[in-house]
This record gives sequence, structure tokens and C-alpha cells, in this order.
Amino acid sequence: MPKFLKEFFNRNGTGMGLAILGLVLFWTIGLIILPQLSMLDFSFRPNLPPPEIGGPKDVYTLENYKYLIYGPEGGSQDYNSVDLRVFFRTLLAAVCVTIFNLIICYPIAYYLGQSKGSHIRIFAIMLIIPYWINEILRAFALRIIFGETGVLNTLFMGLGIWDTPFDFIRNDIALYAGLGYAYILLMIFPIYNVIESLDHNQIEAARDLGAPWWRIHWRVVIPYAKPGISSGCTMVFMLSAGALAAPQILGGPSSLWFTQLIYQQFNDNNDWPQGAAYAIVLLVTCILFVLAVMRLFKVNMGDIGK
Amino acid sequence: MNLSFLRVSIWVYLALFFLYLLGPLVIMSVTAFNSSAFPRMTPWECLTFQWFGDLFQDQRILNGIKNSLIIGAGTVVLSVAMGLAGALMLTQIWPKLRATYYTIIIAPILIPGVVLGISTLVFWDRINRMLGLGADSVLSNGVFLTVIGQSTFIASYCMLVLVARLQRYDMALTEAALDLGATHAQAFRKILLPFMRPAIASAAVLAFLASFENYNTTTFTFGEYPTLTIELAQKVRYGITPSISALAFIIVALTVFFALLNEAKLKRQELVAAARKNATVEELAGKIKLPSFFAGNMAAVLLVVFAVATITVVGTATAYNPAQCIANVKEEKRLEAEQRIQELRKQREEQRKKREAEEAEQGDAGQSAPKPSNNSGFGNVFAPNTLGSGEEESQDTETPPANNGGFGGVFDPNSLKSE
Repeated sequence: MPKFLKEFFNRNGTGMGLAILGLVLFWTIGLIILPQLSMLDFSFRPNLPPPEIGGPKDVYTLENYKYLIYGPEGGSQDYNSVDLRVFFRTLLAAVCVTIFNLIICYPIAYYLGQSKGSHIRIFAIMLIIPYWINEILRAFALRIIFGETGVLNTLFMGLGIWDTPFDFIRNDIALYAGLGYAYILLMIFPIYNVIESLDHNQIEAARDLGAPWWRIHWRVVIPYAKPGISSGCTMVFMLSAGALAAPQILGGPSSLWFTQLIYQQFNDNNDWPQGAAYAIVLLVTCILFVLAVMRLFKVNMGDIGK
Repeated sequence: MNLSFLRVSIWVYLALFFLYLLGPLVIMSVTAFNSSAFPRMTPWECLTFQWFGDLFQDQRILNGIKNSLIIGAGTVVLSVAMGLAGALMLTQIWPKLRATYYTIIIAPILIPGVVLGISTLVFWDRINRMLGLGADSVLSNGVFLTVIGQSTFIASYCMLVLVARLQRYDMALTEAALDLGATHAQAFRKILLPFMRPAIASAAVLAFLASFENYNTTTFTFGEYPTLTIELAQKVRYGITPSISALAFIIVALTVFFALLNEAKLKRQELVAAARKNATVEELAGKIKLPSFFAGNMAAVLLVVFAVATITVVGTATAYNPAQCIANVKEEKRLEAEQRIQELRKQREEQRKKREAEEAEQGDAGQSAPKPSNNSGFGNVFAPNTLGSGEEESQDTETPPANNGGFGGVFDPNSLKSE
């Protein structure tokens, strides 16, 4: 038995040590690592009916990945332009949602983090309440607002700003508003946590030295809040790229989200390996993208989740 | 830019922000009380509680709630246990492994839920096949798969909550217990667990809420056991009704209630502690005069107001009968629809006449022009007999005559035929 294992059992007792070790191994290996590897393996296999699995036809193939890039064999186009367009549109939209959230959340987080008083706690409750409501219901609420006869259209038509109902859903405005709405809290809290620990004297000092308010934020607050900002952005980006409920409910009929394609492969086409391949592509691209952006802004991985 | 302008703009911004955050929930809650069959706030028709009745008779929703509770309970147990084990491991793992280990157990938070659902499904399906079990074994059961899939990432949330408190734990306490002859299990149960209890409670609440509202992972794993969220999603995707708003209203009300309750309790504890601190020696020796329950506790006041409002609403609901109002609105709608049909017919008639007139003009320019009254664009409105016949037709018992007033019989089908 290695030394650190022996130490571990000495410290926790054999029974407790085994329980802790067992649970941790089950979680890390059984629930996190093996399923991901299994999915990776699965994505390289052809779609076979259950009796043929493990048979001679069950060989590794790049078919599923080729499908995403080139489309069905003998198809009319050189590239699978439909799926690829959906993929890049999803990533781009997720970036836009992230930036939008950062812009609207930063002032709130700064205000909550730097001002004192009992009303701050009421604000915190008001922030958390929407987050406790079901994701589906939040999307549903926005659908009521953005619908053709919804509150916004009634309001603007009543004011005479436009005459015919504006289709928010077909124009994807409802979708972006819904995605932004869903993950606001995940952006505010990491930034708030960091800004709260910023000594107010630093801001005062900058002000005394004659810095205008925007320069105080640019040179003092934002560099200090960088870990919070990066973990908020990472979470919002990953979650909105992987969102399924909001696009299903708020998305227009013609605009798909990449997760919806994965969902279709699994539930409608019953092509699990193809769906797994798409999921892998989504996961790997998102991780690489996040790592690249973090490298660009010089943030450490260890700061995330703190 | 002076200071007062800055302050005003901050408040405006806060107001807009919270409007964006809370407005949708308020509007959704309000639509639960409108009798319109499509959830909407305007036009307001009648105050009704019908949608709540519909909700409680919906078997699929009730079944979904049951499944959600079962899965939630399983997820809470599994993820709090794994989270606690993970947190304990994090505090004593070999330093070289620590960063890797932390990355692994934090990763599920960032992995998209869809990917977690798929990987769980694929992995356990494969295990199931390797063990040679059938399609109806435990391992391919919807409840099992969903609990496993959700726990994968919910345990990470629990771990983060638990590790925050564990860092403040003094290991010397456990060592003292061991020195005094306790077994490891006893030391864990009697020393560490009581210390961790508040964090375990909040981790459990967090885990339950996360499980209850999860959609992305569950949608791949639920099998034969759709949870409430799955049922809701299917309802919302294929036609929406106000009974979903009714459910939303209940959830919003419960959330607000518990949030206020929790806040009031915390504030109360703070106030009591402050009173103890300021008390004089005699007061401490005797009985401390504690501040009254509502003094300086805004959350408690709000809580009471909220409870009273709920009781009033429920009270009204049992006594209130919107049948008359709904009948009126129905009648109004019927008339409106009729009007619209008439308008359409009139337009069509006009177009027809115009065309005819044009044809006539082009066809034989020398002949006499068509009757001017037909071209006027008002159809037969001004013919005296149409008014009379219109009145006669629409002498419905329920309709107030004012509805017919300005339009006369224009919209009556007979007025067109009467020429």
C-alpha cells in the first residue's frame, strides 16, 4: 500500500476511509470520467441495431464526424452547410449573450459589492428568486411577453410605435433575451464576490488622485475583478452554448440551436453515435474556446469556481 | 456630470434591471388569473381561478410532481454524500494530485447538461449490455439514470458549499475525540457532522432545487418517468395554456414565501444577538428584554403581509364565481368576430363592385355610368332599411343595444343582400 493511502486510512479509520474513498472514486471515475470516455468511444462507431453491437460490423469509423462536415454521402452539397451553420451560429450567439450579460451585470455587481445597507439583502433576495423558478417556466414567461399578442406587442401597438405585431420569436430576439435572462445570476455572483472584497480606499485613492470614474473602473476595479469576471463569463458561455430549454421554447421555427440537433439525433433519428459525435464536438470546441480566451486575457484555470 | 445625476441614473438602472428580472415573473403570474384561454395579460377579460382547478386535475402534471419528488430525494442523498466525501478528500489529498483532482470534480459544472445526459445514457446502456441484462433492468430505469446523471454535476455544487465550511473546521477537535477513545465513525458522527449541519442543509436544499428544475440532463435519461420539468417542457412546446401560469404562480409564491421566511429568521437572530450584546449586567442576570418580533425586521413584516394576501386570495377563490363575467366576455367576443366577418364581407363586396364598375367603364364607356351609391365605398350603410333590419336581427336578450349603436346594420349579412 502506498504511503499516502496508509496515512489516509490512519487518519480516517478503515471504515470511514473506505466509505470516503469509495464515494469519491464512484463519483470521479464512475460518473465523470468513464461516461465521457464511453461517449467518446461511442461517437466513433457506426449506428447499429442492438444485436449487431460487438459484431464484425462494429468497427471504429470517422463517419459521424465526417457527417457534420461533409453531410450525407452523395449529398448535393460539398459541405453540410445546414449543420455547420447552426454550429457556428450557436457559438457566436453564445458569445453575444455572454457579452450582453457581462455589460448589464457588471454595474449591478459593482453596486451590490460596494454599497452598504440593509436594502442590499433585499436586492440579493430579489436576484435569487428568479433563479429558483424552473428554467422552463422562465422561458414560458418570456414567451408570454414576446408573443405575437404578447405584452410588448400590445404595448407598442397601443403607443402607436408600430402597427403590425413584430415577430420577436422569428427574429430571435426572444431567444437572446431568454438566454441572457436565464444565466444572469451566474454572471453577477462571481463578480460580486470579488468586488465585495475590494477595499473601498483603493477607489477613493484613485479618485483623490484625479481619475475620472471610467478610468477608476478600467485601471482599478476591472483588473481586481478579473477572476470573477472570467469565471462568470465561462459559466454563462458554456451554459448558453449548451442550453436546450430556451431554444426549444423561444427559438423561431427556422433557427435551430446546436443542442437541438443533438436532441434530434437522439430522439427523432434514433442515431445515438451521431448524437454522441455532435456532443463531443460541442464539448471540445467550447472547452478549447474558453481556454483560448482565458489565455488571451491571462487568467488561470484555478480561479474558476472560486 | 454631477453627483445627483449619477445617483438618479444608478436608481434608474437598478429599476430597469429588476424590471427585466422580475417583470416576466409578475406578468406570468398575473396571466394565471385571466380567463382568456391563451395566457395573456391584455386584453384583460375576467378574474378567474379556473386554471388552478384545471391544474390540479391534470394527471400528467401530478404524476410529474411525484416523479420529481422521488428523483429529487435520490439526488439529494447521493449528491450530498458524494459532495461531502469529495470535500473531505480535497482537504487531505496528496498535494501533487490536488489540482488535477479539483479540476475533475469541478468540471461537471461546466460540461453542458446535454453532454452529461448523453454520456450517462450511453455509459449505463453499455454496462447494462456487458452484464447481459435486459431492457427493463434497474440500470436502464429512468429514475436510476436520472438520479445518476443529475448527481454528477449537483454533487459538484454540494462540494463547493461544503468545502467552504469544512475549511473553517479545526481538525484538532476530531483528534481530541479520538484521543478520548472515540472510534473514527463516532468522531465523524458526533463532532464533524454537527459542525457541518448548516452547510449540509443548504447543500441539500440546493441539490433538491437543482434536481427539480433540471431539464437538459433529464431530457435524455428520464425514460418512463417524466419529471415535472419534462412535462412542462412538452406542454409549453406544443401549445401553451394558462394552467402553466397557475403552476408558475404557485412556485413563485412558494419561493417568495420561503425566501422571506429565511430572511426574517436570519434578521431575527441578528437582532437578538445585538440585543444580548447591548444588554446591561442586571438585564443579563435577569431576563433580557428582546425586541419585539417585527421591530426593525422588514422581511418579517413583508412575510406577514404576504401570508395575509395569500389567505385573502384563497378565500376569494372559494367564494368567487366568474361565470357571469365569462358569459359577457364570450358574448362580446362573438359580436366582435361577427363584426370582423362582416367587415371582411363588406370589403370583398366593395372590391367586387369596384371591379365591376371598372369593367363596366372599360367595357362600354358610352353607356350610362353605374349607380353612384354603389361606388361610394360605404356599401349600403345609408340605405334607410338596413338600419332597421339590423336592429331587428341583433335583438339578443343579453346584448346591450349600445354595441350595435354606431355601426347600425352594416355588419349584418342581410343588409348586403337587401339590395
